[in-house]
Amino acid sequence: MPDVPQNAGYMMAAYIVTAVILIGYAVSLYRRTSKP
Amino acid sequence: MSLVQKGRWITLVALVCLAAVYVRALAFTPVERLQGPAQKIFYLHVPAALWTEAAMVLVGLAGIFYLFLKDPRLDRFAEASAEVGTVFATIVLTTGPIWGKPIWGTWWTWDARLTSTLFLFFLYVGYLLVRGAVRDPGLRARYAAVLGICGLCLVPFIHLSVFLFRTLHPQPIILKPSAPSLPNSMLATWLFSLVAFTLLYVGFVTQRYALSLARAAQQDRSSDAGHA
Repeated sequence: MPDVPQNAGYMMAAYIVTAVILIGYAVSLYRRTSKP
Repeated sequence: MSLVQKGRWITLVALVCLAAVYVRALAFTPVERLQGPAQKIFYLHVPAALWTEAAMVLVGLAGIFYLFLKDPRLDRFAEASAEVGTVFATIVLTTGPIWGKPIWGTWWTWDARLTSTLFLFFLYVGYLLVRGAVRDPGLRARYAAVLGICGLCLVPFIHLSVFLFRTLHPQPIILKPSAPSLPNSMLATWLFSLVAFTLLYVGFVTQRYALSLARAAQQDRSSDAGHA
């Protein structure tokens, strides 16, 4: 049986990038909709 | 409760759901034996890809109806959906190569699925640039509607590209004629993620629509003041 590949770093990178993009856009929307 | 507040609440709930998806995917979903932990990128990449495509379908449909009805609400919705679709497309085009490097050995390959998805991203960016460049609201909405309809026509091609061409990209394992080929624990995580991304889309679009509405009202007020 082959060993499970050790590539958790790529997984973490993808999860961090996704969180940054989504939270960044959420903050951008919050700031734009808060302007008088 | 105003539309902006509704959008913010939906977004907040969606972000909490997404945090729960992270916990479930990273800690409670089994690691796939052949691909290793990198396979878990699938739980973010695929729902984001589905909503990238769905957002453009909705932009195109709103465009078609706008050309017939000339209802500015349809144009505002299309604008909101396009901006959110661009955000999701950015996620797809970053998480995809991050998955591709350990699995394929390369960040990028010019195969049909990847290239057509990149083209969809450029179409989204072009759509937003056109909206920013044309000042006349009626003309802007018409040009944008035509671009949205082009995007709508592209989406089925993207989805079927893995069947039409020989590509490196995996075949669908969930949205296919037969039953999904995933163990139940992985399928549950994916479905949970799809719910989170759906809520994110709704929350983001609601806020972005409210922003367009506020800007239109501000423009009306300033043009009224100019006439007075």
